[in-house]
Formats: sequence, C-alpha cells, structure tokens
Amino acid sequence: MEFLSFVIFLILATALGLILMFISNLLGQKKKTVRKNDIYESGVNPVGSATRQYDIKFFLTAILFLLFDVEIVFLLPWAIAYNNATNTGFLIAGFVFFMAVLLVGYIFVINSKALKWEE
Amino acid sequence: MLEAIIEIIIKTAVIMAFPLGALPLIIHVERRGAAFIQKRVGPNRVGPFGLLQPLADVAKFMFKEEVHPSHVRPFFYSAAPLIALVVALLPLACIPIMGPFQFFDRTVYPEVFRSDMGIFFAFAASALGSYGILLAGWASNNKYTMLGALRACAQMVSYELSLSTAVVAMIFIFGTNDIHLMVDWQTGYWFGFIPKWGVFVQPVAAMLFLVGIFAESNRLPFDLAEGESEIVAGYHLEYSSMKFAIFFMAEYVHMIALSALFIIMFFGGYSVLPGLDLIPLSNPFILPLLQVTSLTIKIALMIWFFVWVRWTFPRFRYDQLMNLGWERLLPLGIVNLIITVLFVYFRNQ
Repeated sequence: MEFLSFVIFLILATALGLILMFISNLLGQKKKTVRKNDIYESGVNPVGSATRQYDIKFFLTAILFLLFDVEIVFLLPWAIAYNNATNTGFLIAGFVFFMAVLLVGYIFVINSKALKWEE
Repeated sequence: MLEAIIEIIIKTAVIMAFPLGALPLIIHVERRGAAFIQKRVGPNRVGPFGLLQPLADVAKFMFKEEVHPSHVRPFFYSAAPLIALVVALLPLACIPIMGPFQFFDRTVYPEVFRSDMGIFFAFAASALGSYGILLAGWASNNKYTMLGALRACAQMVSYELSLSTAVVAMIFIFGTNDIHLMVDWQTGYWFGFIPKWGVFVQPVAAMLFLVGIFAESNRLPFDLAEGESEIVAGYHLEYSSMKFAIFFMAEYVHMIALSALFIIMFFGGYSVLPGLDLIPLSNPFILPLLQVTSLTIKIALMIWFFVWVRWTFPRFRYDQLMNLGWERLLPLGIVNLIITVLFVYFRNQ
C-alpha cells in the first residue's frame, strides 16, 4: 500500500512534467533556421567538440564523495540503534574506532592534495 | 481499495499544488525583493504591484518556439528536464505539512508516502537532483553546459557530505527517523519561552545544513553552475521555452523541499509557532490548520532568507567553494558529530 502511493505520486509527477513539455511544443511556433541549429558559443563559430578532456579533479571529487558518503550513511542506522541500545559503551567504542578510520582517510586525502584546485 | 487510491491522489494533488501554486508568488517575491534591496522599482506594470508578471512570463514561455538543435543527444535532451522536475518533487512525497489528524472516524496521515524511513527517502530523493543537471549538461553537447553540469555536480556532492553529518547529529539527538516523532520532540518550550527547536540544541549542525542547502539548490553565493560571466548560463544553456522553464521550476521546488527538511530538523517542522498556539482549539480542525499556517510561514521566511542572501553575498571562486566544502565544513561536521556523541554518552553515565 505504501509502495502504491509512491508509484501514484511518481506517475502524477511525470504526467505533470510531460504535459508542461507538451504544451509549449503544441503552442509554440516552429521555424527552423541554420543559426538556431548552431551550438551556442557566445556567437562565434564553435571550436572543437564538447566531449573534450576535463579536469581529473571532478572525477576525484566524485570518487571521494562516494567513499565518505557511504561511511556517513553507515552512521545513520547507528544513531538510531544507539538510542534503543542497553550496552552503549560498546557502541561508543565502535563509533570512535570508525571515526578514527574515517579521519585517517581524510587526512591522507588532504595531504596528497587530491582536492587542491588552485595551481 | 478505490477509496485508498482516491485518498492518495488527493494528497498528491495537494502536496504538488502547494509548491507549484506558490511558485509564481516566490518568483515575484524574489524579483521585488531584489529590487527592494538594490533600491530599484522591480516589475510593477502587470496587475496590481506587478503580481500578474509571473503569470505573464509563464504564458510567454508557453508560446515560445521550442528549439531542438540537431547537435544534442535527443532522448536525454528531452528526458533531462523531466527528470529534474520529478526528482525535485519526490522529496515532497514524504514531507508532512501537518500532524496526523482525526477525519471523522479514522486517523489521516498527511504525507503521500507514509513510511518511518521518510526522512531518509526525502534526503535520498533530493540528492538525486544532480542527475537532471548532469544529464542536461551532457546531452546538450556544448562546452558551456558540460562545464556547468560538472561544476554543479562536484559542488552538490561536496556539500552533501557536511549536510549528511548534520543530519546524523540531529537523528542521534532525536533518536528516531519518524518525522512526526521529530516534530513531537520539538513541540513545547524550555523555561516556558524558548521553543524546543533543534537549532538551539545543535547550532553548528544547523549552520552546516543551511550552507548545504544553498549549495544543493545552486543558489547564490554558490551558483557556480550558472556563473554568467564565465559559462553564460550553465547546464540549461541549450534549452528553450517550457523546457527551460521546467529547470527553473525544479530549482525552486528543490529549494522549497530542502527548506521544509531544514525546518523539520531545526525549526520544529509543522509545530505551531509561538503566539499562534494561544488560539483555543475549540474545533478538531483548528490544530491542522494552525500547523499548515505555521509551516507555510516558516517556509516563506526561509525563501525570503534565500533572496536576502542572494543579494548580500558575492559569488565564490570555484577553488574557494571546494576548499570551504572539503577542508572547512566537512571536518567541522565530523568534529561536531564526535563532540555531540561523546557529550551525550558521558552525560548519561
């Protein structure tokens, strides 16, 4: 039942988006010209292709985000479990160890200048 | 079964009409607010106080030509605005605009997607916002859009981290993942006059979250994705007419959803504002009404805060932005979390 409500919400949201996109397709004028079809590059003729090489930093940021975010996501069930637990000392020891590992990883990332953007 | 489906459709319509109906008003407030801060007049010609200007803009968007250039990747180019809008609307499915209330003989929960994991779902869905942007930038096959999308994504994921640490700290304090219980926790007063809001328990987490939502919704001072002077308009450069408008709608809906999450965590969600709770509850429908009013006022103040910040701070440079996210806010969030946990542990010993 919960899942059904989610599916209905998704269908209605998609329908809304499709209707909005369809409206301007229906009402707007259609007059194709060569210039409209161009790649926009501040009014000059486009140079080269858009699929060129980009800075590796973007890739590194995404990979590091994945690592840290997964580690933080692990803490969410932990935070709820702590409030229902009796042996909290064990949970705290686990938390401190986990955070120590995370901090060592973080210090390594910062020291290796993986996230330094300026030259 | 049919009754349940009708109920879901009504709830969905209400929760979608709430932000989408407020959208023209928000855009108007933003433009008039900008004019007010910069000592200009702002749009004041269409309708009283220029109130009909946003509607005129929507009509104009509808009648504009939809340019579909041939150098784009057609499927993803059309899918990107749709994904952006749907994903921006998704977190709203889990956000309650009022408490559970008695409707004749049964208890009605106001959120569409009732789940005790609602808050996690809302954060997961709001984090999906980067997909619409990345797809739009890549599918447009243009250097500016590609750069804008890459920048937006790197920025959104970086600030996601400090935002998540703030969420963990708050969930640790509340001890629950049910939004209604969180709001119950924040209902009432300390010493009779300070509202029991999360912001007074965790001010550092509140600040991290606030900076996080500015970066997540790509608003100034973090709108590097659309730095006009560098990459023209960013990821939606090749879009026109309603597809372009849909990106703007998605951005504003995302802003509202994130503001609502911020208010749920730090400003008592739909709990009744101080002052409004003096009204006697003579009728069972008055409390839900007051709750909706309180949440609306809080969200409206948040939106005004967004506008205010937009015209107060200059834009960051990109390396400053990434340094702030990774080298200042993330350690601050982790240290805040450790201090919170150890403080709670030793206080209970």
